[in-house]
Order: sequence, then C-alpha cells, then structure tokens
Amino acid sequence: MSLSTSSVLPRHSTPMANAFKRFVQGGSLILVTYLALYAVYGVLEPRALQPYAIAALMNNTAPLALAAAGLTLVVINRGFDLSLAGVISICNVVLATMPMDGPGGALLSVLLCILIGGFIGAVNGVLVGWFGLQSIAATLATMIICQGIALVILDAPGGYVAEWIVYELTDRLWGIIPVSGLVVAAVVCLWLIVRRTRFGISLYAIGADEQAAALSGVNVIRVRFGAYLLAGALYGLAGFMLSAQTATGNPTSGAPLLLLSFAAVALGGTSLAGGSGGLFATVIGAATLTLLQKVLFSAGVSSFYTGMFQGIVLILAVVFSVTMSRIGARQ
Amino acid sequence: MTTASEHQMEQAFNQTGDHRRSERISRETISAIAVAILCVAMLLGARFISPSLGSWSQVETVLVLGSFLIVLSFGQGLVILTGGLDLSLPAVITLGGILATNWVGATDPGAWYLLGAVLLVCAGVGLVSAIGIVWLHIPPFIMTLAMSIIVSSALLGYTRGTPRGAAPDLALALMKSKVLGMPMPILFVIGFVILGALFQSRSVPGRYLYAIGTNIHAARIAGVPVLLVQAMPYVISAVCAGLVGIMLVGYSNGATLRMGDDYLLPSIAAVVIGGSSILGGRGNFLGTVGGALLLTTLGTIITAIGLQIGWRTIIEGAVVLIALLLLREELFQKLGQYWRSSQPASESGSITRRKGT
Repeated sequence: MSLSTSSVLPRHSTPMANAFKRFVQGGSLILVTYLALYAVYGVLEPRALQPYAIAALMNNTAPLALAAAGLTLVVINRGFDLSLAGVISICNVVLATMPMDGPGGALLSVLLCILIGGFIGAVNGVLVGWFGLQSIAATLATMIICQGIALVILDAPGGYVAEWIVYELTDRLWGIIPVSGLVVAAVVCLWLIVRRTRFGISLYAIGADEQAAALSGVNVIRVRFGAYLLAGALYGLAGFMLSAQTATGNPTSGAPLLLLSFAAVALGGTSLAGGSGGLFATVIGAATLTLLQKVLFSAGVSSFYTGMFQGIVLILAVVFSVTMSRIGARQ
Repeated sequence: MTTASEHQMEQAFNQTGDHRRSERISRETISAIAVAILCVAMLLGARFISPSLGSWSQVETVLVLGSFLIVLSFGQGLVILTGGLDLSLPAVITLGGILATNWVGATDPGAWYLLGAVLLVCAGVGLVSAIGIVWLHIPPFIMTLAMSIIVSSALLGYTRGTPRGAAPDLALALMKSKVLGMPMPILFVIGFVILGALFQSRSVPGRYLYAIGTNIHAARIAGVPVLLVQAMPYVISAVCAGLVGIMLVGYSNGATLRMGDDYLLPSIAAVVIGGSSILGGRGNFLGTVGGALLLTTLGTIITAIGLQIGWRTIIEGAVVLIALLLLREELFQKLGQYWRSSQPASESGSITRRKGT
C-alpha cells in the first residue's frame, strides 16, 4: 500500500503520515494538549470549571487569539507580519483617548479599530504585494511607524476606555457564555467559510508554491493584499478586545503580544514556511499559552519563570512537529 | 516573475559573461556611500537648525552612542547573511549587563577573566540557539524568539526583579576613558569595524557565510562545512550582544532588566538600511555601520530639536521604509543595465569569472 502510493506520488507521504499531519495541523494535537492542560488546571484549582473562571480565562485569551489569528493568515501566505504590535497599540490609545460610551459608541469604536487595522494592513499589502518588499522588512518599518503614531497620540500610559465596552465585552451572556469567547468563535466561523472560497484556497496555494499558483491563474498580488488587509482588521479587533480588558491606554500595549502571537501560530502547527495551518489551531495555541500561565501560577511557580516554560513549550512543540513531518516524509 | 528574471539573467550571462559579482559589489558600495553621504549631510545640515549641532563634540556623541548599535548589528548582520534572524539580542544584552554587574565587583583585580566568563555564558546561549536551528531544524525566528523569552524570564527570576551591583572598572574604562584626547569607545569601535569588515568580506569563514546564504545546496556541494558555518553566526551574535551589555553597563553605570529592549529593531533596521538583503547572501559590514550611524545621527538630531519620542520613532520607521524602497532589486538591475550599456563591449566581456575559485 505504502509502496504503491510512494511510487505514484513520490513527493507525498503515506496515508498514515498524512493523517498524522492533518492531526497536527488541523489543530487536534494542540486541542488534546489544551484539554489535558485544562484537566491539570482543574485538579490544581477546583474552581477552574466555574463559569466566571472560564470567562476570565477567555477574556485573557481573546486579544492574543485574535492577533495570532490575523498573523496566521499572513503566515499561511508565506509572509511575516510584525505590524500587529503597532496596530494593537494604536487602537488601544485611540480607544483610551476618545472613549465613546453606550452600545452605539462601542459599535463605532469597533468599526474604527477594524478600519485602522485594515488601513495599516492595506499599506503592508501594497508594500509587499506591489512593491515586492520582503514582508519581514516592510512590516518592521510599518510597525516602527505605528509605534511612533501610538506614542504621538498618547505619550504615557493613561486614559480611560468607555465603560460600556469594558463591562459588556468582558461579561457573560445569560451568566454562562463569555462575550469575548463569542467574538473569537465568530472569527473562527467566518474563517471556516472564507477558507472554502476562491480567496481561501488561493491563500494556501500561494503559500505552498507561489509560481505554481500564479501559473494556475491565481492573482497573487490581489490575494496577498487581501491577506494583509484581513490580518490588519483582525489586529484591530484584537486591540479592541485588549482595551476592553485593560480598560486603560498604553502606547506600548501591543508589544508583548508580538512574540506570543508567533508562539501561538507555531504551537498551532502552522508552518512558518507557508502553505499549511489554520486559524482554529492558532486560537487554541494562544489559549494554551494563556492557560499555561494560570496553571503555573496555581502550581505555585513564581511568575518570574512563566516565560521559561512558555519558551520551552514552544521549542518542544516545534521540534515535535518538525520531527514528525520528517519521519512522515521518510516513510 | 522569477522565471522571467532567470531568463534575463541567462541571456545576460550568454551575451556578456557573468556580471553577478561585479553588480553585487557595485550595489553594496552604492548603498554604503549613499548612507555615508547622508550621515555627513545631516550632521552639517543640522548646523542650520541649531548652532550647537554639527560640531565635533556632536560627532563624538554620535560615534559613542552608535558604538552599541554597530557592535550589535555586526552579529545581527552575520545571522541575516545566512538567511536567519536573531530575536534574542535584547535578552542577551541584558544577560551580559546583569552578569557583568553581579559577578564582577567594582574593583575586582580579576575582571578580565570574569568578563570573559560573562561573554562565554552569552556564547553558550547563542550555541543553544544554533543547536536548535541547525541540528533540530527549528526555524531561526522561532528558536531565537524562544531563547529570548527563556533568558529574560531566567534573568527576572535570578535578579528577583531588581538588578543590583555597579559597573566593573574595566567596563567604565572602556566607555569613559580617553586616549590621546579621543574617547576610548570611539577607538574601540573603529578597531572593531576594521576587524569585523575584514572578517566578513575577506576571511574564509566570512566567505562561507555568503556562500550558504546565496545557495546552501551549492555551498554543500562545494565543500563548505555547512552545519558549522550555519551555527557560527548565532554564537558570534550572542557574544556581540553580551559585549554590548557590558558596554552599556560601563556607559550608564548599572544594569536594568529592560536595557536591551530598545536595540532589537534598530539592529535589524541598521542591517537593512546598509543594503543587506533580509533573505541572506548579500550585504557588507561597512554598509551596516553606515546604517547604524545614520539611525544614531537621526536620533540625536531629533532629540536635540526637541521632538517628542513618538515623532522620532515615526521618522526612524520612515527612513527604514525609504531605504527598503530605494534598495529594491529592480532599481539596481536598471542601474546595472544602464551602467553596462554605457561601457564598451570588449571591456565588459573581459570581466573575470572569479566565482568559485
């Protein structure tokens, strides 16, 4: 069986290896890891299964999950996007300096954030798509500029985010379902639709082999532009959710999320070489990183050392998926 | 797109011989010269804004402040030359700084050995990154990112959040003393630049880095010890970062847990402005030095004018963006074509094919 497959398709791996690859990249592996970690958390902290504890965890996770989800779109397309830190910081300081209260204000705020993010994403898209700049260098430049803009808007931490946003978006619907979780779920559902469209398929095709995609009629520039645009919009949404959680403005609030977002993408099994992976796995990857902090805290590990564990988990996850894909390729 | 350019290259090769080497040198020289001219022009132009600017003392300030970035971006440049990226620099700078203040007393007679030990620890961090990248096949971006998180968290735990200790005399001597009226750090950085440039473009390991950055498969076939050469820049980069940590401690007489944070992006920016390709295989150290000095000059002028930090950051980002847009491949191809068409055919045909010797 494996012999015939490998002789027909020499570059593809066996069905078993394929199934395993799907297991890793489809998010099942990270999901199992997450559930196991949650079980540990439940043992260490019996209140972990209470709705308010779950909601608190969701609120902590949402900004990172959304930012990493946006980053995933770019990484699938074989790019890097560093601008996420800058976009989140700008959205945060804008919400803190121009609080708009009430449901209408919240709607305007979220639209404003998505617009800001989308605009910066579009700039990235033009630089990378049309001008052909290296994504990591171009987004480095936009990130530095965005950080500067955030500092110009608000030069020191301060300001207040509108109360309605702070209370309603960190609340639970009917006492059970966390609103922040719903926002993330909505984004994931939207992605599940988008990935079936022409755009979604082209996104993977470009990441896997840009030339082949271009030759099969994919408009590489336009799809790439779309990826950065959507990614920017998601960073904007992440900035909105972060502001709801912190309730105040900080011109460097996005910076800590940058490295963690890349960690979440890698944990979710999305290959940095492009062409594979998905949003759902990234979201679970982000959730795992946040959960790890809580587990370590309740296990009595000093919060000083949280980063060590996060780093080691990141290395292990990547080594695991690299080794597995090599074994799969060899079979 | 690539096929088209490959076709063009093939045509050019058939018609006039292999120009890639000469074109590459001209491209890098152009950017290095352009950056240097810009630096001088900015320093002189600053006189019009304020008479205190553009003086020799300001040049000294720029060189001293720029020395940190120059040393740091040497390592970053080597890593980028192989197609990688080192994100662990801020953490290793802090590691170097904190160990220097913790291990070495202010008046320690054995400071030489102890500072050497500090650099050795930093090299160890680089070696761990290298092992992960080269032998475990972890992408450089992820591996150095993970090392960065791990080292800063370990430092946070080691210092319990508040670093103590003072700068060792040796570090103070390096940064604060004067030799024949010249500040010591300037002499040090001049020596460093000469050695660094010779290492990168003239030594065998340096040329190996270009070889694997250009085409790793070809390099392997040509007999380059690929694994060792791939690992080398991460260790060098970590040692440079540790050295910057010690220099910063000598300059500001103490270490903080965030002392390295402001240096990661400028280190990449300096390399990019200097004309190196972020994809690897192209770039030279003198261009990077120019990029570092340009960023530092810009920073001091903006600070002197009194613009707030936000505007300063925006201008820095814009400079990086402009450099990227100007250094694009097509632009240089066009310049190269123009230059070639203005040369007599016989002369261009006689350019040697020294590649691979």
